[in-house]
Amino acid sequence: MLEINNLRSRIDDSEILRGLSLSVRAGEVHAIMGPNGSGKSTLAQVIAGHEDYEVTAGTVTYNGQDLLELEPEERAREGIFLGFQYPVEIPGVNNAYLLKAAVNARRKHQGLGEVDAFEFLKLAREKMATLGMDPKFLNRGVNEGFSGGEKKRNEILQMAMLEPSLAILDETDSGLDIDALKAVAAGVNALRSPERAIILVTHYQRLLDYVEPDYVHVLSQGRIVRSGDKSLALELEEKGYEWVREAANA
Amino acid sequence: MKQASLSIESLREVVRRLPDNGLTSSREAAIAHLGEHGLPTLRDEDWKYTDLSPLIEISNRWLTAGGRQQPSELPRERIADITSSIDAIWLVIANGTIDARSIATVTHKGIEISRFSDAPPPFAVSRPLADLNAALLQDGLRIRVNVSIEKPVGILIVDRAGESAAVTQSCVEIQVASGVSAEFIEYHASDGDGDHYANSVLSIGVGDGADAKHVRIQNRSLRHVQTGQTSIALGRDSRLRIASYDLGGRLIRNDIDIDLSEPGADVGFDGLYLAGDGQHIDNHTRVDHRVGPATSSQEYRGILNGNCRCVWNGKAIVHQGADGTDASQANHNLLLSDKAEIDTKPELEIYADEVKCSHGTTVGQIDKNALFYLRARGLDKRHATQVLTHAFAADIVLRVPVTGVKDAVTAIVESRLAELIEEDAAADLLS
Repeated sequence: MLEINNLRSRIDDSEILRGLSLSVRAGEVHAIMGPNGSGKSTLAQVIAGHEDYEVTAGTVTYNGQDLLELEPEERAREGIFLGFQYPVEIPGVNNAYLLKAAVNARRKHQGLGEVDAFEFLKLAREKMATLGMDPKFLNRGVNEGFSGGEKKRNEILQMAMLEPSLAILDETDSGLDIDALKAVAAGVNALRSPERAIILVTHYQRLLDYVEPDYVHVLSQGRIVRSGDKSLALELEEKGYEWVREAANA
Repeated sequence: MKQASLSIESLREVVRRLPDNGLTSSREAAIAHLGEHGLPTLRDEDWKYTDLSPLIEISNRWLTAGGRQQPSELPRERIADITSSIDAIWLVIANGTIDARSIATVTHKGIEISRFSDAPPPFAVSRPLADLNAALLQDGLRIRVNVSIEKPVGILIVDRAGESAAVTQSCVEIQVASGVSAEFIEYHASDGDGDHYANSVLSIGVGDGADAKHVRIQNRSLRHVQTGQTSIALGRDSRLRIASYDLGGRLIRNDIDIDLSEPGADVGFDGLYLAGDGQHIDNHTRVDHRVGPATSSQEYRGILNGNCRCVWNGKAIVHQGADGTDASQANHNLLLSDKAEIDTKPELEIYADEVKCSHGTTVGQIDKNALFYLRARGLDKRHATQVLTHAFAADIVLRVPVTGVKDAVTAIVESRLAELIEEDAAADLLS
């Protein structure tokens, strides 16, 4: 589904990704771990198409097409979803409006008609209930005045409504209490299917207790320096990132 | 740059031919005052960003061509569109003439409507453009609301420009009796290809303990020029809420003067201006806190695109002894083009001790992170820009104090915003 080959990317004058390669197939859950500044979030932003990150070398192919050629909205419509590390507050834009616009943009791209208002509300309320979100959040400004946990749940709500083919969750677990973490994990697990792939970008092993990854990759200085199964995450937890850094430099 | 000056001789000539309906002496006094003081120039502090040359030039062309007061064609369809889309008791001033038919339809006993010619007001020295208004005014409209009314009173000031340049005046006096609740809509519209300058004067008196709401919608043709002078006086423990929407016009200048001479008065006024290529919209507000306690709060927001210029100047003067004053001013601007210019200036003069005053202005662009967030959810760049622009305007639209015009305001703001974002300059931003 996603093939990243020797990707190099920079923001302003600093190179963050330095020859990263990764292959993700449908049905898989990949966890990307690594110390701060290793390039985890940059990878997520580059896949989503943030224009501040310049791709200087390498290729990214998504379902056979050159992903780097697509605008961020085209990527979203093709089924890529980025759960933001820092979801943006947009006062004055109603949460329900954004959800509906997002769902309709995807549906239109798929050649489907706009979602019926009644069906949309029903579905949104159902998804919110499973995430433990008060339905009143639908009528609030997007992330406006939301707590950290509420923002992350809201990201998962958007993901649940959009049913992406490839979901990248950028530190969605950070700053969550255990209830919110479980709710987020349940949202992610509900999305797991043979047709979908999920990339979890995370600093800690904690989320992986609830969402079991097929693969764990460790990022250091803009490259994947180690890949393995879920036991790698436990090993990391035990030995710390210093161990990986040493391994990378060895 | 040499600024045009108004041809007082031609003005005198045109005014001399106006029918004598009792306003002759105030017209003459106005011309005399205008002749002495002239119209403001860029050298005047309050006018330094707004060159009146376009309206002086239109006025001179119209005056020298004889200053014909009655353009032939009334915009009947436009009038019907507006008055049928907003449920109100409508009074119409079309092409500078009070529409007698609209007055005749007002049957509500609590509303008194009369004309200046019924009881001519003495000439009062005011601002220069008010002098021009008094000189050329055919007749003024007085509206007095004596009992609380459910329906808003609408004043539609509408012009249809013919082929040659034209100038029209309107003057309206509103008085809300003590203890009465009333809502007003002031709607300015114009169409037609010719050059047109509309000059309006409005005064609002809110009686003791009265509660008034006023919505002003300026949706003129982008070819036309308008100036407006609004004077407001609030009675003891009275309340006034105003929202003002400037959407059209090539050159727009609004002056609002609010006089707080009675304790307990509370005035809140919001404004939204949307300016695209070639537009110039200038809002000057002044609040005189003469006694306390009294409250004034204002928030203006602007969205600018293309090669345009807007001005916001909010002055609050807290006079000596006006303790207990609470005055706040805010002006926020969203610039969608690097060719757009905003001159924003809060001015506070405080001569009293116990006061609470605040002001803040901001000028910004579309938040790039918010834009990316929306695009990452599948909204294209144009749609995302539109959504964020709407969000910026939303507060002021949602605060429209007259419930019955909410839909109409929302619709025209949305349609104007869509136009603004479509403009070529936005294309640069969006490329």
